[in-house]
Amino acid sequence: MNPDGIGTQAPQPSWNTRVNNCVAGLAARQGDAELMLRVRGGDQASFGLLLERHRAPVIRFLDRMVQSQAVAEELAQEVFLRVYKSRGTYEPAAKFTTWLFRIATHLGLNWIRDGKNEKGQESLDEKTAEGTIKQVLDRGRTVEQELVYQAKLREVRGAIESLPAKQRAAVLMHKYEEMEYSEIANVLRCSESAVKSLLFRAYEHLRSRLAHLA
Amino acid sequence: MGCVADGDGAELIVSYGARRLAPHEQAEFELHVRSCARCREHAAAQRAVWSALDEWPGITPSEDFDQNLYRRIAMEEQQAWWRCLWPDTWSPRAAVPVVLACSALIAAFLLNGPPLRSRAEPQFQMEQVEHALDDMDLLKQLSVESH
Repeated sequence: MNPDGIGTQAPQPSWNTRVNNCVAGLAARQGDAELMLRVRGGDQASFGLLLERHRAPVIRFLDRMVQSQAVAEELAQEVFLRVYKSRGTYEPAAKFTTWLFRIATHLGLNWIRDGKNEKGQESLDEKTAEGTIKQVLDRGRTVEQELVYQAKLREVRGAIESLPAKQRAAVLMHKYEEMEYSEIANVLRCSESAVKSLLFRAYEHLRSRLAHLA
Repeated sequence: MGCVADGDGAELIVSYGARRLAPHEQAEFELHVRSCARCREHAAAQRAVWSALDEWPGITPSEDFDQNLYRRIAMEEQQAWWRCLWPDTWSPRAAVPVVLACSALIAAFLLNGPPLRSRAEPQFQMEQVEHALDDMDLLKQLSVESH
């Protein structure tokens, strides 16, 4: 007890904060399909929760697919717009993330097929050049370490970019989104054995490209 | 235990690199790797690829992402209202002949159709008034003559 007779406890969060935390906790436990069904019923807040939950993974996935943040965000907006537009006909037949990544993959593959990636690469180079000095400061690396890191990163990005589009999508879902073979198969609409074959060939290719980095 | 040399260890190598093998599978595979140079080489290379890919961090979404998305949704919903009247399947090219045909029909009807009733009615009333006035004149003359 201090001289003022007040305990030295940490300040209690306000009632509103506690209610918000409670709602956020409940929302985290709600399934995506349940939230999507609420969106179908006209609940805008549930769409906000879905967006909050899946925004970053979808943008990251698309950024690695098309290798341009601007394009990735544009495509991600299209993904969520399509989700919102099809809320009326949504049926929870498949896992929500499978459906979401199917739309994202479809848009990413179309973008690559349409040969728009030259523009994306330009913006990537610009971004890398601009961001280098800031990143050096942010990560506490020396300029030399940063240059080595950037060179390594360029090789990794180049290796991923050199993969055929479908293999690229499979690797990104497997490596970065930690999806199971069955889920990747559902996204790409192929069999599990086809996914395993895609992944093995893709990793073989990456081994040949990145072996010297080990 | 599958082996790369036999061609059926591909999945194992990928899962080993991804550290997604169950503990007993991993132990079994590591035992096999000790005696199989080819699998050992592949497994090490796969782990190296995995580590190299770890170097690529994910981006942070822009702060205005949600704002832009909600703006697009609002625009889309506004358009959706107009689409009820003008569906996507309609095109101005298809509408032009329809509009021309309708205009031609209206013009033909106006030029060659029967006279409008509203114009005929006043003429008919004027004639009636004239007849009535004539009759009244006649009656007046008759009444004067009778007196």
